[in-house]
Amino acid sequence: MKRILIDSSKCAGCKNCSIACMQARRPDGSVYDIDLTSPQHESRNTILINAQKQCKPLFCRHCSNPACVKSCMSGAMVKSPETGHVGYDPEKCAECFMCVMNCPFGVLKPDRATGTYVVKCDFCADHNSEPQCVKNCPTGAIRVEEVEQ
Amino acid sequence: MTQRFSCTTCASADKTLECFVADLPLETSFHRVESQEIKCGFGLQGVCCRLCANGPCRITPDSPKGVCGANADTIVGRNFLRSVAAGSGCYIHVIENTARNLKNTAIAKGELKGKKALERLCGMLDISGTDEWDKAEKIADAVLADLYKPLFEEMSLTKNMSYEPRYKRWQELGILPGGAKSEIVAGVVKSSTNLNSDPVDMLLHCMRLGISTGIFGLTLTNLLNDALMGEPEIRMASVGLRVIDPEYINIMVTGHQHSMIAYLQECLTDEAIVKKAQEAGAKGIKLVGCTCVGQDLQVRGAHCTGFYDGHAGNNFTSEAILATGAIDVVLTEFNCTLPGIEPICDALQIKQICIDTIAKKANAQTVDYSFDEREKATAFILDEVIATYKSRRSQVPLNMLPEHGNDNTLTGLSEASLKGFLGDTWQPLIDLIVSGQIKGLAAVVGCSNLTGEGHDVLTVKLTQELIKKDILVLTAGCSSGGIENCGLMSPEAAELAGPQLKAVCQALGIPPVLNFGPCLAIGRLEIIAMEVAQALNIDIPQLPLVLSAPQWLEEQALADGAFGLALGLPVHLGLPPFVTGSPIAVQVLCKDMLELTGGQILINGDAAESANLLEDIIIQKRKGLGLS
Amino acid sequence: MKHIIIGVGAAGISAARAIRKHRRDDEILMISTDDAVYSRCMLHKYIGGGRSVGEMSFVPDNFFEDNNISWRNRTTVTEIDTANKRVVFEGGSENYDRLLIATGAKSVFPPIDGLKGATGIYGLRDLPDAKAIREKAGGASNIVVIGAGLVGLDAAYGLVEMGKKPVVVDMATHVLSANLDEPAAAVYQAKFEEAGCEFRFGCKVSSVKQNAAGEVSAIILDGKEELACDLLVVAVGVRPENGLLPSNSIDEYLSVGTDVYVAGDATGFSQSWPSAIEQGEVAALNMCGIITPYDEILALKNTVNFFGIASLSVGQLVPAPGDTCDVRESKGRYQKIISRDGVPVGVILQGDISRSGFWQHLVKNKINIADIPKPIWKMSFADSYGLDENGEYEWMT
Repeated sequence: MKRILIDSSKCAGCKNCSIACMQARRPDGSVYDIDLTSPQHESRNTILINAQKQCKPLFCRHCSNPACVKSCMSGAMVKSPETGHVGYDPEKCAECFMCVMNCPFGVLKPDRATGTYVVKCDFCADHNSEPQCVKNCPTGAIRVEEVEQ
Repeated sequence: MTQRFSCTTCASADKTLECFVADLPLETSFHRVESQEIKCGFGLQGVCCRLCANGPCRITPDSPKGVCGANADTIVGRNFLRSVAAGSGCYIHVIENTARNLKNTAIAKGELKGKKALERLCGMLDISGTDEWDKAEKIADAVLADLYKPLFEEMSLTKNMSYEPRYKRWQELGILPGGAKSEIVAGVVKSSTNLNSDPVDMLLHCMRLGISTGIFGLTLTNLLNDALMGEPEIRMASVGLRVIDPEYINIMVTGHQHSMIAYLQECLTDEAIVKKAQEAGAKGIKLVGCTCVGQDLQVRGAHCTGFYDGHAGNNFTSEAILATGAIDVVLTEFNCTLPGIEPICDALQIKQICIDTIAKKANAQTVDYSFDEREKATAFILDEVIATYKSRRSQVPLNMLPEHGNDNTLTGLSEASLKGFLGDTWQPLIDLIVSGQIKGLAAVVGCSNLTGEGHDVLTVKLTQELIKKDILVLTAGCSSGGIENCGLMSPEAAELAGPQLKAVCQALGIPPVLNFGPCLAIGRLEIIAMEVAQALNIDIPQLPLVLSAPQWLEEQALADGAFGLALGLPVHLGLPPFVTGSPIAVQVLCKDMLELTGGQILINGDAAESANLLEDIIIQKRKGLGLS
Repeated sequence: MKHIIIGVGAAGISAARAIRKHRRDDEILMISTDDAVYSRCMLHKYIGGGRSVGEMSFVPDNFFEDNNISWRNRTTVTEIDTANKRVVFEGGSENYDRLLIATGAKSVFPPIDGLKGATGIYGLRDLPDAKAIREKAGGASNIVVIGAGLVGLDAAYGLVEMGKKPVVVDMATHVLSANLDEPAAAVYQAKFEEAGCEFRFGCKVSSVKQNAAGEVSAIILDGKEELACDLLVVAVGVRPENGLLPSNSIDEYLSVGTDVYVAGDATGFSQSWPSAIEQGEVAALNMCGIITPYDEILALKNTVNFFGIASLSVGQLVPAPGDTCDVRESKGRYQKIISRDGVPVGVILQGDISRSGFWQHLVKNKINIADIPKPIWKMSFADSYGLDENGEYEWMT
């Protein structure tokens, strides 16, 4: 499967991955005209900071043993046997947010605007599975590679 | 050993140049575009704030305000005002030096080459004097006095230089500028930490800066330079890298202050100097034009014979010009002098000399080039120039590009020379507009940048689209340099125009794109707009005239744009000026400004779409005037 | 090899998936009383009219066909013949090589006087319960829910969605006493009250009255107060459905006898959806001969989401003597972390549970965070950030 590999030592904390992610979900427009304050445009990824002030990018791993899928009681969160990516169907989701609690790394969150769905990386399915975060990372801290599923 | 960089270079509208740069064994700006392709989205939207130690703060859904509480509107307002103030500062520095050079020349009873220009200035500024030097000194003093006025004191020449309906509107809006330097200081102060937080107030301050920049930094700089350095005369010229003659010692000039080299340029044809150059093995010494000062030399080409063979290229052509190996010295008096030329100069043993401490470049020698020291400084510089030639020419291989550019670019245009060409009246131009043979006027001005599609790509494509629509294009700035090298300023380019404009061009023997030279000449276009409006007894926003800075690059361009908005013109930009993070800034600049000054910012990076937008506006304005 | 799984709930389905993943050609037969696969955690959405039966499914449409699984539904297993490795049901029997009992649990009806035998009284455990409640509630005017825990509130929420105004009775002092502390619970209570619910805390239902037709007509609180009642939902707890288990001793491989396994609520372990999934998977692995011990996962954790307010609770809700308790409150937000000797042992978050999954990991794994030099509120995975050679995250502690 393809996974976004992370070299956190290269992360400069510019959050370009986040803006790219916000833009990737929009049907049109460009990075110039996203309303950066609107909770409608939430980023799937984020950058954490540790006690030493180092940047630690937090991106869905599409885990081989995904706790989010195991905790999903609606069948909304499914790991695809073909791509290995963990997909999420907001229509099926029952908004229990057990996945949010059970992701051991704290990647997931309920959406901020309505609190009715989970903000979840889909590996940019609408962009030919070319993650826009990776495309827009200026430092090469994230890259896509084929890994064992 | 020839080393080639493996990365791809960016495109240029100028394919000959693009190929030349791609094959260079040196790294240029064209090479670096790819590695800087990923832009910071916060920077693009203007919502990164570094005004205090709590920052940088950036606006996101989780952090809609900076630590201080500033929202996107305030952050964008401050950032934008800072940029416009800095851009204004650049031009005000230029007019200040120009006025001082005029004054010092007058005191020294030196040569004033533009007698008519001097008289015209006296008329405009209500100045009389005992002789030309007395008049020149009084003009310079009046300009300088205005520049140094406090914030609360209106500059007295603003009224003289403004079209009356505009002046009235500015007065109503309370945007008539105080002293130009004070306005810059106020802009910097307003936008400092935890000071002004009102985005609308800051945007209106940009209008004040636009007016002072436009009238003083642009318009008056041209007129003062004309009086001192000679008036533009319409003529044909060679342009492009072909103008470089390797048999001469070549000085590439960069900057915006033609009057700074007034003394030096005359010395180049001095017999003793020529003899020295010949002793060193060259035919003589020549200036090679680059950036806007090169354009200034070109429009005044009639007064620069013998030492100036033409304009080689715009800002982002400078590296290629140096890469020919035939340039011995870079003489810098201001921007746009890319830091990227420094390693190229080192590699090719080119000496860099700065004659304005403001524009000190790394690795460059600064020469005290005050008016009083000009003879000594010039002698020193020319000795250095000759010595550099001698030491480097046998070491550095030539890589000439004689096929680049052309020999038939129409140049020498100014508000005065064009009017003269039309028979000392704007009526022929007005008649052509009224009849629809010329649908309207588009001023394609400003810089060149390498983003978007590449070097001059949007500028040239947009120009092509506009002339196809029978819109006459007037240029000023680095856009001139790009368009001329692509051949659109040659009479033959009439073939590329729409049928009506083509017929006009062929009848008059002119190209469909008229080259007014440096960015300073935006001020000349303003005079034309004013005089045509006056002849029609209408205000400037009613004219079928649009302004576009398709590839604006720098802060100066933003100050120019602010002037355009203050004049009430539609101002098209290919890329947003780092303001889109603020809904208020976008609303004010793109919509509300129509109600205030009549101007408006339009942003579009596509040539065909942009041309349609601009054409629509021209058609609307024609309708407003009762023209079909 | 033939596997039989009794039950199509979380544990049963999880087991079937795991068997199919590891044994492409083994035969799998699932037997269930239920005639649909549905998530029990969504029954309240059915009552409220928010979801149809089909929309409560947690498997893809063609799950059985696609995974080559036979399913005998509407079938109740009556006996397990371990000697002959056979399950017996009405009208037939099937032999197995490996058997999984994932029969779940059933509602507990406390021994209240008059409750037994009356009609109009339901638990909320399965789809028939939900269907009955929804149907009955339509014409009911006095609905009482016994139990203000998660299931009781689920029922109340569904009823409120229907426009009903149920009375919820509980012996505890606040709602969700097993899931949240008092401040967090109060937020939900206020919302339920706003929506028309009435709460009676510290009360015990002492008896139930029936009318002549044998229908429930009233309940008596603490032997004194009479509340009219024409629909009674009992949500005081569940009991494992373990009648079929050959033995009550479950080993660490979830086995209860030769080739018989148990998973999910039927184990009697304290449960949550993820633990049922995990148990189903572990049992399945052992059924396939892949020896896998079951590591009891932290069951004391849950999320609550009513009226758009999400909460999360993990571990202890109340600090013990000597514990440190950090509490932070702001508008619409409540956070409480209980730590013992530097190890977080209990977490309650309400209002904003974004990116908070790491807490569950810290509590479950008893990770000491005392040495991380930052405020507890800034805790995240960042300080234990690790990546394995495959690019997956791993905790570096």
